Amino acid sequence: MKCLETEILTSYAYRLIDEAAASEVRRHQEGCSRCRKIVEQHGRLDAVLNEWQPAEPTPGFDVRVREAVATLEAQRKGWGFWGWRWARGLALAALGVMIVAGVVRYGHNHGGVSRSSELAMRQPQRATGARNSGQSPNPQTLSETAQAQVTPPQHAPEPGSTVATSSDDKDALAMEDYDLAANFDLLSEIPKGERRVAN
Amino acid sequence: MAIETDLDLMLRVRDGDAASFEVLLRRYRLPMVSYFRRMVRDQSLAEDLAQEVFLRVYKSRERYQPEAKFTTWLYRIATNLALNTIRDRRDEVSGSGDDDGEGLSVLERFIDPCPTVEQRLVQRDRERLIRQSVESLPENQRAAVILHKYQEVDYRQIAGILSVSESAVKSLLFRAYETLRLRLEPLLREGQI
Repeated sequence: MKCLETEILTSYAYRLIDEAAASEVRRHQEGCSRCRKIVEQHGRLDAVLNEWQPAEPTPGFDVRVREAVATLEAQRKGWGFWGWRWARGLALAALGVMIVAGVVRYGHNHGGVSRSSELAMRQPQRATGARNSGQSPNPQTLSETAQAQVTPPQHAPEPGSTVATSSDDKDALAMEDYDLAANFDLLSEIPKGERRVAN
Repeated sequence: MAIETDLDLMLRVRDGDAASFEVLLRRYRLPMVSYFRRMVRDQSLAEDLAQEVFLRVYKSRERYQPEAKFTTWLYRIATNLALNTIRDRRDEVSGSGDDDGEGLSVLERFIDPCPTVEQRLVQRDRERLIRQSVESLPENQRAAVILHKYQEVDYRQIAGILSVSESAVKSLLFRAYETLRLRLEPLLREGQI
């Protein structure tokens, strides 16, 4: 008698085959000790596997699950429609602050204060300093100073810096002339004999 | 009072009934923890994973569609979690060795001649051999055999859980049981005597 395939015997032992196939196995194993032995071994294996006991949940498992569910529910309620609206508002506000901060920083890094206004702020201080020293400036020195002041700075502009426009330069020159006129002593240029005192 | 079906309970959970979720939790807490305990061995991890299953059930209650049996859906979530965890911990587990700390030392076995202790040790060794034999099966075979043998899930349902055909499940179970029969032959012989 030809033995049945092990797959059929195992499937029979674990009731994985239909009734017609099961009947065939039952008939076969009555006259086949080898096949009967395999089926019996699977029966014992089934009993042996039962020795691996199930694990009970530890005390407090249910409580932990309930707490986790309650936390989940609270989060869901907290971040519902209104929660998301708050989050959206907060995000927009943060974005606005970042944009303003970026603009301010950009202006600071790229010479937000123009050269002409810097000069305008610097000139009165210099003129005041000269007057306060009590010395009348030498015309030659003044002309050299004026020349030096009119000469544009020789250093290269910083990367990204804005170059002063032509109108800015004109403003600056005008301020320089104004400064020279304010400090020039006209009487010192006229010989003493030729001076006439106006009555 | 008639026992409410899982489906009825889950539909009520979907409608916001917390008491029905509580009934499901009590009904499936032991099967879930036992399933994970056999799949991943570690008790603490098993409980964490079982908790995660209940959380996922709760999270997706509004999307629940009663197309399949509730247990098929539940075990599908559980099996995916278990298999992902096994894959993540594969290196860790393989490096930990066979001894999980449950057994007694050789010295203890010699010192204590009490027959009851001896019987207990024999039982523990047998259980460890069984556990190691099941754990050494390939992942899908292990899941199939634990679902079939210990969770008493029908092979047709296992097909839905593992997302494979019924014939594929039969093949998985056949190979798993046949491997176990050969590996556990010493225990089967003892039973014969």
